Amino acid sequence: MRYAERNNGGVQRALYQACGFLLLLAAWQIAGKAGMGGKTLPALSDVLRVYTIGWRRALLLRAAVTTVSSAGIGLLLGAALGCVTALTAQLLPVLEPGLDRLAVVVNALPAIALGPVLIITVGREATPALLAAIPVFFLIYVAATSGLQSADQRLGQFFKASGASWWTRFLYLDAISALPALLNGMKLAVTTAMIGAVVGEWFGAPTGLGIVILNTMQNFQIPLMWAAVLVVAGISLTGYGVIGLLQSAVERRMA
Amino acid sequence: MSTIELKDVSKEFRINRERSVLALSAMDLTIREGEFVALLGPSGCGKSTILHLVAGLDEPSTGTVTVDGLPPRQLQAKQQLGIAFQEHALLPWRTVEGNLELPFQIAGRTSDREHIAGLIELVGLKGFESARPSQLSGGMRQRVSIARALCLNPKLLLLDEPFGALDAVTRRFMNLELQRIWQEKQITTILVTHTVEEAIFLADRVLVMSGRPGRIIRELQVPFPRPRAVETMRQELFHQLVDDLTLSLEP
Repeated sequence: MRYAERNNGGVQRALYQACGFLLLLAAWQIAGKAGMGGKTLPALSDVLRVYTIGWRRALLLRAAVTTVSSAGIGLLLGAALGCVTALTAQLLPVLEPGLDRLAVVVNALPAIALGPVLIITVGREATPALLAAIPVFFLIYVAATSGLQSADQRLGQFFKASGASWWTRFLYLDAISALPALLNGMKLAVTTAMIGAVVGEWFGAPTGLGIVILNTMQNFQIPLMWAAVLVVAGISLTGYGVIGLLQSAVERRMA
Repeated sequence: MSTIELKDVSKEFRINRERSVLALSAMDLTIREGEFVALLGPSGCGKSTILHLVAGLDEPSTGTVTVDGLPPRQLQAKQQLGIAFQEHALLPWRTVEGNLELPFQIAGRTSDREHIAGLIELVGLKGFESARPSQLSGGMRQRVSIARALCLNPKLLLLDEPFGALDAVTRRFMNLELQRIWQEKQITTILVTHTVEEAIFLADRVLVMSGRPGRIIRELQVPFPRPRAVETMRQELFHQLVDDLTLSLEP
């Protein structure tokens, strides 16, 4: 009974969300057709037509592969660094205030200021991935730190009374208890990594969706530009959704 | 030969820079090997503090706590301590069986499947091996919790209000069950409780405590022979003792 209710609630909510989304798309279509946004706001149907043209589809696909690779590398790199830093702060509490401040400072560096520095130090190809990694690092550091402290207190006492070593406690309790918070962080990190990669490409990467957006803007190929923007948004939302599903599956398992 | 000894133990908890609370004061207590002792008292009388000191979860402010002449931490390290709390403290992502494997994993031993199966039967959970805690009732979770405390054949069993969160009917039933389980194992046990009937029915000796600072105000050697059954609770003497101890609990 409770399951049925919860499912109904979920279906209803998904329905509302879909309705809202469709309304937004319809408004876009109407505004575009009516020319309300001038030449720079094409109708949705004109943007979607871009995907039906073979060579444009191929261009977008190639660009998407590059951007997704950069974002993916940045995501993994940032997440790994974030987890390692959070673990270090846990293992050596003396370092925790320092690491906290370091993470905040790293996060406070604006990508716009950092881009040129990265271009001349690590090169144009590596800049998108690194610009993706930096905000991911901060997000995952914060998520992992709070996650590692989220284990049930009674369970902690049980582990202590049972003579558990730091490692066994980490393996069987803390790491697993940290999963929901960590996945929540990852969910946000996916979209941040995509933004970082696209912005990173603007500083002069050879290819990528960011480059397509930049070039089409300058050449006034407006429908293609919107098509590229939609691809970026689609990838971000898909990543967000997939990890969100994983997160709720894990949370159900841990309830 | 005595198993657990508290000598002149006091425990102070600091609240802030000016204020602190004396939870225990000049506590002397000896518990013999194989004895079942119940610590009975109102909440906040320091009975759980004693349990935490014996479990090595806390250090005394003054005095010494020893188990077989050794500090509790050594008992922890040797995995000879079984403990169950009021909140079941089971891993929610593991099944009943998986939770009973945990003590073996913590100890770095291979889990003894037969022993686990035996314990599941002992606590009456046969058929629920692959259920997860969220699928069990409160009483069943406490059974798992007690079975887990018994997994490594501990020398010492510590029960911190294990049935405190259960309704009266389930609690009474669990008392009968625990009496049956203990009868088979006869491990030195400390039970912390605020229920008079539970203390008298289960323990060999009941220590009544008063709070702030916690000290023992009364000691009762329970006269009922073992094994005890429901009939024990119906005896005139049982009711007398319950009334008697209830009176001594009143401030």
